[in-house]
Amino acid sequence: MESLVIAYMYPNLMNLYGDRGNMVCLEKRIGWYGHQCEVRTVNHNDRLDFQRIDMLFMGGGSDREQGLVYNDLLVKADKLMQEIEDGLPALFVCGAYQLLGTSYQSHEGTVLNGLGFFDLHTLGQKERLIGNILLESELEGELKTVVGFENHGGRTYFDDEQLKPFGTVVKGYGNNGEDGREGIRYKNLIGTYLHGPLLPKNPHVADFLIKAMAQRRGITLSEPLDDTIENFAHQQVKNRILAGK
Amino acid sequence: MKIRLYLAILAGKMAIFFSRLAGNQGTNFPGRLARRIYPPILTELAGNILRETVIITGTNGKTTTSNMMAEIIKENNFSYVHNRAGANMITGITTAFIQATNLSGKREFDYGLLEVDEANVPLLLQEIPVKALLITNFFRDQLDRFGELDNTINIIKEAVQDTDIELILNADDPLVSHFQNQTGLNCWYFGFDDTVYDDIASAESREGRHCVFCGHELVYERFHYAQLGKYSCPQCQNQNPARDFSAHGLNLSPAISFQVNNLPIQSPYQGFYNAYNILAAVSLAKRMGFPDETIQTAISSYHPQAGRMEKFIINGKTVLLILVKNPTGLNQSLVALTQETANKNVFMALNDNAADGRDISWIWDADLEILANRQEDINYLICSGLRSGDIAVRAKYAGFDPARIVIKTRLQEGIARAVEGSNDTAYILSTYTALFTCRQILLKMQTKAKRQSNQSQYQRQSG
Repeated sequence: MESLVIAYMYPNLMNLYGDRGNMVCLEKRIGWYGHQCEVRTVNHNDRLDFQRIDMLFMGGGSDREQGLVYNDLLVKADKLMQEIEDGLPALFVCGAYQLLGTSYQSHEGTVLNGLGFFDLHTLGQKERLIGNILLESELEGELKTVVGFENHGGRTYFDDEQLKPFGTVVKGYGNNGEDGREGIRYKNLIGTYLHGPLLPKNPHVADFLIKAMAQRRGITLSEPLDDTIENFAHQQVKNRILAGK
Repeated sequence: MKIRLYLAILAGKMAIFFSRLAGNQGTNFPGRLARRIYPPILTELAGNILRETVIITGTNGKTTTSNMMAEIIKENNFSYVHNRAGANMITGITTAFIQATNLSGKREFDYGLLEVDEANVPLLLQEIPVKALLITNFFRDQLDRFGELDNTINIIKEAVQDTDIELILNADDPLVSHFQNQTGLNCWYFGFDDTVYDDIASAESREGRHCVFCGHELVYERFHYAQLGKYSCPQCQNQNPARDFSAHGLNLSPAISFQVNNLPIQSPYQGFYNAYNILAAVSLAKRMGFPDETIQTAISSYHPQAGRMEKFIINGKTVLLILVKNPTGLNQSLVALTQETANKNVFMALNDNAADGRDISWIWDADLEILANRQEDINYLICSGLRSGDIAVRAKYAGFDPARIVIKTRLQEGIARAVEGSNDTAYILSTYTALFTCRQILLKMQTKAKRQSNQSQYQRQSG
């Protein structure tokens, strides 16, 4: 039995709409796969020891809170990008996803710098994009649906057409409600607007991250898990979205 | 002659009548219809309030607090207009006024007592002159309708700016302190002194953990309940405002009792959250000038209402119906039901209609772990409603044994499953839009069970 370590970034500031459920999900599934999972919270001014981290997660926050974490994250940025290039699994939701781009302009016009990992930018508008969302996403060579709930004022645009979205929108808004793209996928990193939380009702996405962690560490996972309940919940929301409710 | 006003009242009253006849609650539609016929109808009818109108808003406790206020006003033999639970949007409030008035729109009332949805406060203030605004608290609730909690607070703040409305505020809620330092407004604070139920470190969701003025993390000396407690900001010295209505000597068991300044209060209600509702109602009543004895009598004789732990007896089993709508309320209910060691079935209906909040992610901010930690007393967890799958997944990840998680999406089947079996009690938890159906089902089951037991008694006697 091995122990996998997930760094949970700023849980006190960046935890909107049940995002912490993603941590609960990974922790439990890793346990069911026969290993241990340690969720290590990283707060302001804490050191990030990448030698001992198998994955990184950061959730959404309000504009005010996003500003607070930016400065702290900037100090860690170079090292973090290097790790992501090397295949560190990472999940960035909503406000955290926006921070990965070059800039974020609030609807009042204030411009915040982003970490600039990817050539994308976000424009905030007063009218928020809210509702259930259904995507199609290809994670391990197979196109599968992803369900979630989005609630964001920001519209995110790719400035580099080579960037790959996390999925394509079947119903809902996605990055900007215009181009049908949702989120970003780069190596083992997923950036997305999807709350819900994302992972519990999309066990294949959770497993994509867990398998990436296991592979990097060279450990094997036990037999596939029984996802009857998860798949039921996934299908129920999917039906509801497709019925236009 | 105000033909359009009479027409609007008539149409509204007919709409109320017909939607009742059709078995609906009939809360928003009649008001919406009347407002379309005669847009200033609410302003006009509110002109019939002789003394003053007070409004109650906030995330939790609006309904209980305003129902208690209604009892106090009634105890003083005054007439009043009061909107029903759930009808707290501007259209529902219009419906309440139409229902109360006569066909000429001239019936007068002493008070207007309105429970108002947070986002509807600015709209209402534009249409009705308001004497006092009571804010119970700001918790995570139905966030998807507003974006973030900050927005909700800001729109209320803007709406009361430059008015002479008196504010009755919760001194223990760091998010309510947004209203502090606002010039020109008359603020009165209520809150609890140290209690024996306080927590020094609790894991519940805490929305207001950061100072609203400087963003620094707040330091808590003690938590009373959720993010309500004794806090201070190490950076800018922001701390609880001084209490005008200070509650001390709190006792929660077997029922609530405490003192507000020197006034002893007793109530058959349970739970810290209800102690806050009572304190809020008492504070508002004191500001409105009602005599102490009438406040005491009204509170002590006021009993819990539909969905707030309503009790049914079905085949000798106790079945309790509980409304849940946000993490804090759900946590409180789970704590209460797990304290009871009798073996039980727990049913939860989760809907995601507009009135429930379309975003159900709040169940991940609630501690279903409370339930999982006491699962030896629970036979089955029955998951129901439009999002039955989500509640099942949440329970599984809280550590509840999946073999004892039953999914019955239809309410009727789910409740039947919860009430049958070897369990002694059943708890029926439900979000707002499933509550009335759950209640109807339970009432029907109760009546049927009573009839059957009468029949079998009769058969025994005659046989």
